[in-house]
Amino acid sequence: MKVSERYYDEIFEFKGQWDMPSTCGLKIRTVDGKKYVIVTELYQDNPGTSVTYAGRSLADQICEAKGFKLDEVVYLECNPNTNSKLSFYDEEYFEVDFNADKQHMYRRLSAEEVKSILGDEAEV
Amino acid sequence: MKLIYPKWQKLRGQTTFNLPPHGPVAYAATLPEYVDISFTDENVEAIDFDEECDVVALSVMLSTQVKRAWEIADEYHKRGKKVFAGGISAMLHAEEFVNHVDSLFLGESEGRSELQLMDWKNGCLKKVYNYMGNQPPIESVGPCRRDLYKRDLYNHKGVQMVDLFHASRGCRFSCYPCAVSYLGGRKFRPRPIDKVVEDMAGIDNNRLFIVDNSLAQDKEWEKELFRAIAPLKKKWISHTIEDDLEVLDLAAKAGAWYVYQAVYDTSDYIKERVKRYHDYGIGVEGTILLGLDNQSVDDCKRLIDFLGEIDLDLAEFTVMTPFPHTKGYDDLLRQGRIFDFDWNHYNAGQVVFQPAKMTPDELQDVYEYAWKSFYASETQESKMFRLFCNVALREMEEGTYVPRNRALANKSFGKDVDRSAPHQNV
Repeated sequence: MKVSERYYDEIFEFKGQWDMPSTCGLKIRTVDGKKYVIVTELYQDNPGTSVTYAGRSLADQICEAKGFKLDEVVYLECNPNTNSKLSFYDEEYFEVDFNADKQHMYRRLSAEEVKSILGDEAEV
Repeated sequence: MKLIYPKWQKLRGQTTFNLPPHGPVAYAATLPEYVDISFTDENVEAIDFDEECDVVALSVMLSTQVKRAWEIADEYHKRGKKVFAGGISAMLHAEEFVNHVDSLFLGESEGRSELQLMDWKNGCLKKVYNYMGNQPPIESVGPCRRDLYKRDLYNHKGVQMVDLFHASRGCRFSCYPCAVSYLGGRKFRPRPIDKVVEDMAGIDNNRLFIVDNSLAQDKEWEKELFRAIAPLKKKWISHTIEDDLEVLDLAAKAGAWYVYQAVYDTSDYIKERVKRYHDYGIGVEGTILLGLDNQSVDDCKRLIDFLGEIDLDLAEFTVMTPFPHTKGYDDLLRQGRIFDFDWNHYNAGQVVFQPAKMTPDELQDVYEYAWKSFYASETQESKMFRLFCNVALREMEEGTYVPRNRALANKSFGKDVDRSAPHQNV
């Protein structure tokens, strides 16, 4: 279940839950003056905490490393297509609102929204 | 030290068998010899909270144990005792657990548990001993402290239950509903074969359950393992074995009794896979996960009907449950579909999320239907008895059969058997 390199520009190493060494794919794009931070789950190449479980802590670590303020970026989690026969490994993007409660933190982006951010890089 | 394995609510309507738990005795084996341990498995006996002890350790495997573990910790705190906790569910629910105990141990304890004890003795106990992602050498995993079991409590009508055993840790797969790769690392870590043989040979039980996530992770190691354990003449249950005729042959010769095999679709492949096990004399307990996103009620019923065509020896049905640190949890959380975060309900028999192609009630109904339908013509206990007879016959042929303990014929897990009841739900 290798994640294609097209999902990231760099591998970002972060401290996961209980400081577990963890990694994710990272892309940063600016579209119409908005900065998008896109993290991608790497599955077998992530030895630690998933991007979703790491959540706010991962966002803070990326912002600190890149000199961003979290409230000035749009933070997206990507569920990459791993070419599995199983539907839950299809590509999906979610915008994360860390101020919302657990059940309302995530909003799935439509194909058009993804296209508007990623252009030809988008698959959905 | 008072070492406790908390109880949990068993699933309604299913035959309950209490197996001697593995986690507590694996942890106990990592403690220094000078530690005097009194072990209580609350599933088979009540805790005596007033029993003399210096410190308490809770070993927790299931999500459905965590809230009970916290209650136990509260009881001991009232008595002024310090409480440690560790184990699979202490790791999965660590952020909450840390608020209920004095010291939480995260990770594998080989070579590390004495530090926690010494800190406690020296008055500098830490809130968390964190070894997540930092596994000890697999060679350091030694035999469990099975001497701590009160064996008579794991006996049903004179028949001793299987002992749990592990030949490896970690997993290279990242399956949707599973957290093993988070807990034990995303790398398969097989134990050295000589250690496995030595450990297995020392168990005073001819029947084992090799609890490794999947033995089908390194074919050469798997073959070497089966060749090495064959002379022990143990009989064992395990999860999936490699789908390879040579491996199946070696497994059968090594004492494979029956395996758990996921049945996830109605394909000929599944039908043939089950047949291949049977061709080698290995029984099959199908594990059927209901409520995946591609399943409607009709799909589930088709899958349940299919089980009748593939001659399974047993079947175990579960509903998809989003345990923390699984992909299932991440996906369903992001989609806002988890509506119940009460860990007592995370027993794989109660729906805690919104399925994609049916309502939660429909999934609950189809789960109940699955159990009833599969065991309509022959009860679970009766099917188990047939598997038991198979293994007993093989043991008789090999001269390893141990007759049932007549002194315990009227006992089931330490309690008197009520023979007046029409159906024993032990």
